[in-house]
Amino acid sequence: MKAHINGKELSFEPNETILEVARKNGIFIPTLCELNDIDHTPGTCRVCLVEVRQGEAAGLKYMTACDTPMTEGWKIMTRTPKVQEMRQLQMEMIMADHHQDCASCPRNGNCELLATANSVGLKQVRFHYTEGWENLEPDQGSQPVIYDRSRCIRCQRCVAVCRTVQDVDALELAGWGNTAGVRLKGGSVAASPCVTCGQCVMVCPTGALSERDQTQEVLDYLADPEIVTVFQTAPAIRVGIGEEFGLPPGTNVEGQIIAALRLMGADIILDTNFGADVVIMEEGTELLGRLKKSSRPTFTSCCPAWINFAEKHYPQILPLLSSTRSPQAVMGKIAKTYLAEKRGIDVQKMRMISIMPCTAKKEEAARPVLGENGVPDVDIVLTMREFARLLRREGIDLKLLEPSAYDDPLMSEYSGAAAIFGTTGGVMEAAVRTMYYVINHKELEHIEVAQLRGFENVRSANVNLGGEYGEIKVAMCHGLKGTRRIVEAVLDGSADFDFIEVMACPGGCVDGGGTLRSKKSYIPHAMKRRETIFNIDRKTKVRQSHNNKQVQKLYADFLDAPHSEKAHHMLHTHYSSRPCGVLADIQAAWDELKKQGGS
Amino acid sequence: MTTSVYGVWDGEVHDFRRTQSGEPPSVLKGLEDFAPYNKTKAFIADRGFLVFERDTSLVEAFSQYMAQAARESCGRCAPCRVGTQRIRDLLQDFSGGSTGKGILESVEEIARQITDTSLCGMGQSCARALLDALQHFRSEFKPLTPAQAVFQHSFVYTTAPCIEACPSKVDVPRYIDGVKGGKFDFALGVVLDKYPMAATCGRVCVRFCETACRRSAAEGAVGIRMLKRYAADQAITNDRLHFTKSPLQHNKRVAIIGAGPAGITCAYKLLLDGIQVDVFDAQKAAGGMASIGIPSYRLPKDVLKAESEDIVRQLGGEFHYGRVLGQGFTVDDLLAKGYDAVFLGYGASQGTLLGIRNEDPKLAGYASGVDFLLKVHQHVEYGEPFAVHGDVLVVGGGNVAMDCVRSARRMGARSVHLIYRRTVEDMPAERDEVLAAEHEGVIFHCLTNPSGLVVDNGRVTGVDLVRMRQTDRDAKGRRNVEAVPGSGFVMNCDLVVAAIGQQVDKNVLKPEEGIELDRWNCITVNPDTLETSRKGVFAGGDCVLGPLTLVNALDHGERAAASIRDYLLNGEVHIRPARRMQNLLARNRLLADECLQTMPLHKKPVTVPELDAGERISHFKEVDRVISKEMAYEEASRCLRCYRLYSVVTEKQLPRETPAGHREPIFPE
Repeated sequence: MKAHINGKELSFEPNETILEVARKNGIFIPTLCELNDIDHTPGTCRVCLVEVRQGEAAGLKYMTACDTPMTEGWKIMTRTPKVQEMRQLQMEMIMADHHQDCASCPRNGNCELLATANSVGLKQVRFHYTEGWENLEPDQGSQPVIYDRSRCIRCQRCVAVCRTVQDVDALELAGWGNTAGVRLKGGSVAASPCVTCGQCVMVCPTGALSERDQTQEVLDYLADPEIVTVFQTAPAIRVGIGEEFGLPPGTNVEGQIIAALRLMGADIILDTNFGADVVIMEEGTELLGRLKKSSRPTFTSCCPAWINFAEKHYPQILPLLSSTRSPQAVMGKIAKTYLAEKRGIDVQKMRMISIMPCTAKKEEAARPVLGENGVPDVDIVLTMREFARLLRREGIDLKLLEPSAYDDPLMSEYSGAAAIFGTTGGVMEAAVRTMYYVINHKELEHIEVAQLRGFENVRSANVNLGGEYGEIKVAMCHGLKGTRRIVEAVLDGSADFDFIEVMACPGGCVDGGGTLRSKKSYIPHAMKRRETIFNIDRKTKVRQSHNNKQVQKLYADFLDAPHSEKAHHMLHTHYSSRPCGVLADIQAAWDELKKQGGS
Repeated sequence: MTTSVYGVWDGEVHDFRRTQSGEPPSVLKGLEDFAPYNKTKAFIADRGFLVFERDTSLVEAFSQYMAQAARESCGRCAPCRVGTQRIRDLLQDFSGGSTGKGILESVEEIARQITDTSLCGMGQSCARALLDALQHFRSEFKPLTPAQAVFQHSFVYTTAPCIEACPSKVDVPRYIDGVKGGKFDFALGVVLDKYPMAATCGRVCVRFCETACRRSAAEGAVGIRMLKRYAADQAITNDRLHFTKSPLQHNKRVAIIGAGPAGITCAYKLLLDGIQVDVFDAQKAAGGMASIGIPSYRLPKDVLKAESEDIVRQLGGEFHYGRVLGQGFTVDDLLAKGYDAVFLGYGASQGTLLGIRNEDPKLAGYASGVDFLLKVHQHVEYGEPFAVHGDVLVVGGGNVAMDCVRSARRMGARSVHLIYRRTVEDMPAERDEVLAAEHEGVIFHCLTNPSGLVVDNGRVTGVDLVRMRQTDRDAKGRRNVEAVPGSGFVMNCDLVVAAIGQQVDKNVLKPEEGIELDRWNCITVNPDTLETSRKGVFAGGDCVLGPLTLVNALDHGERAAASIRDYLLNGEVHIRPARRMQNLLARNRLLADECLQTMPLHKKPVTVPELDAGERISHFKEVDRVISKEMAYEEASRCLRCYRLYSVVTEKQLPRETPAGHREPIFPE
């Protein structure tokens, strides 16, 4: 089938949209609401207007390219003055009821809405409609993700990613007219199926969705001479944050991060990777114990959104989850006991601040069980985006800094096994390296376990652990849609696995819901970041958790042995069912019906 | 007949502002007496506008019309969300005397943008008439005068083809929005605003809405019914739906005769309004024909019970089963006992005779469709003895006939035959039902008609049949059938079921009760208010309409409740303005001839998965399976939201649209 765009004859397939045909042929049409990477075309912004002549005798029509099927013989023009004017008017209307206080917006500096305004050549906004949000109370909740309707453009990308990518379906469309927006089903994180994975934030084109910003709290701690600030940085941070400062995707800026933290006056700088090594010691031991008892499968427990998912969606599988705390939680606990004791720090004055690629970690840190007497082991969790903001507030440009190195003798060394925790399959591989050693008293020969390194959302492999354990069956999932599949297969008995690694975010932590946002794309740098993670492993002298000298010292001086009573008390946790269904509230539906329109 | 002074309709300009002579075309019927004692000044729709009174303020009329558009905008797409507000405000400014340069030019620019670029039918249609007016009658746009402000009121009504096709006028796009937006309880609430039997209707409705769906001009109508069922099942089959007694209680009590769809709906709406009800029914469970007439493989009885008897009981209603009006009590008795009003919804449950030789309902091996289904129901539901064996012959081509043949298959008949005098295409039964019967192995004998029963010793042993043939098309293009001479033959059978229709039992009401009946023994009512000829007695459902559909009965139940509430709390019954508008739209077929302007992207319709035919004939379990959430989202995304606004501008304000009492107490005592 053939049609013309800008005078050029192009061929197309039935049911292809004008936008698809244009893109295939390198013709630009400005868009705002759609997100091709997650196959989302809501048709709400109506910016992608083109001029259409349907036949020789037919008049001109103006249509949206994203949801109009290309038709035989049509002649499309993408940049006539009239089309450009109409796009500008459309943009003007979108801006008219948008909260245009860009300076205070969490998206300040990389907003997709402003980029689209630029691309249509917006020159003026002659009218404003603020009634829809001017009396809106700011969202003061304690949940990790904040929604600000005044900046929402109703693109529904968040709803789409939650439904189709994650299959969590926690969001619903709410309100009408100028109060239209989204909200959590049931009105809160607790009442909804939300697992706080933050994928919604990753696709939001504006500042409508963002993390609960805690940079100010960190600045206050840094400025307080009484407070001992302790920082930990997750494996994924070092391969992601460089992009914020113009470095190529995947650049490892571990040394610059250490330098920056030191520059800001951080008292103690640790590495979450150390915690990951400890986790492997605990979880590996736990798994071998479960294998011995033929209790299978065991699910990993480092990912807090996955824990939320299990507690809310599949409480019946909670007994299958490893009881080992996450690396972040392990860091918090050891810092506030062992580190404080060894370095003579008053725990009351110590503040553990962790920098994570994750929104759900904020919620994890607030779990009462991960603290002592109401004092949390981890005081503040900053997402990578907040960390970038913190650096900007301190006038620090990472790329100009001379890399530095850790100097803490207790909790900063890490193995290559810990480094790969940040990508899908990494936890599994790290565990295999140590379990193999424990069983066979020798190191695994081919340390990079190729069969674990695919990138499909659900993968499985067989790994020979040797000794009495022999071959075990493992699976790895990233993204909750695939996870749901695996969990259901486990429940109905059709899955046959010993160990299952789950990372809630597609791509794993390197693309977590707390990482930097990109425009018009979804996890575009996954492979580059992942490659760097693998390179860090290769360059690390020690590549197995059990060979981490500081970890060995921790057990020798403090914890006795993996899974000792002390270790069990300090480094393990438990989970509980959190059902989120509620009774149907028909009165609420009737109230909403009454509010809208004249009926 | 009112004729317009000026206006534009379907692109045609009418202008009689200066001429008195000539014959101004009358575009619409029924506008002149839209409301009694109230002059109609103008009418605005998607297809144009008409002004009937020279002193009408066009600006004010459009300003109110666009204000409604702004209120109704769902807010998802920018041109409709912002553009409607912008036009409303500009017109209000202009109407108020602001003559700032270019106001109307701005209005026109935005009106064109809304029309050309909005996502759904609401935006695409709401500014079309305004564009016509600005193009052809811009000089009529003048600031509002004080007199105009007093003598001009708009009643703006929002609807869509699917809504107007539905007897209950359920706001279909709104509940599809609910499903699309992940708000299943909201979607259910939209339906429950009209009637309680959402999961029931979501299973067995005849779907006037889907016939009217504009998407059927593309790849097929939206699966409206399956979405209703989906939303309802989320709450009902998960036991998430609970009602409590209304906190507002009037000291009024209504007797409801018949716990069928009309009676249950009437009871439900009255209870929500704080009016007590007692429901009387001849059977021992609620549901009426939905219970005894619809087999459980189409409508599981627990679903029906949950949203008929259970809901009414939760709301405080009481049931009196095994009570038959006309047998032991009368309407007079009820009123004498102190009921403030009576609703008659006793249905039409007497089988119609075939009218053939040797026919006698008392014969062994003979049953009417409803009697057969009742026996099946009592057997399946309560284990009462009833066996079907041998060869069963069912006469008829409607849904009841399909229910009979499919039930007979499940009851274990050796063979089941369907006799129908016309062709398969002519059958009034739903296509899905006909197909399902075929899949289940029912043997069809079309163009075949019974002429007599073969009776042996008080028992039917066969049926005399005659072949039929189609006649040539008559002037209206219809084809009748006639018997083929000499084609008679006999089919042996063990049971013959006459499923050609039902009628109203004429023994229920006595003439001295003063309730007027028509010649089919149907109760005569005011079609708008459902008042009978006797004060305080209202009626609805099959006993008024003759055997019709579930959704017609639900509509009657709801409207009767509104009238009863009006009668009990206000002393008199009003016709709701929305009802007047619905009549106007129907009379002029304003939504019936809708067609698609541009083809939407092809989106494959979802099909409801069903049990395999081989398996399902061995039991009465539900045939239609549940669609998945993904399927529900997919299907909901196919709705084009063909909302339209219709505005009648009158001299005096119409009585306020009375919202249902459960939304706000409007008659505090």
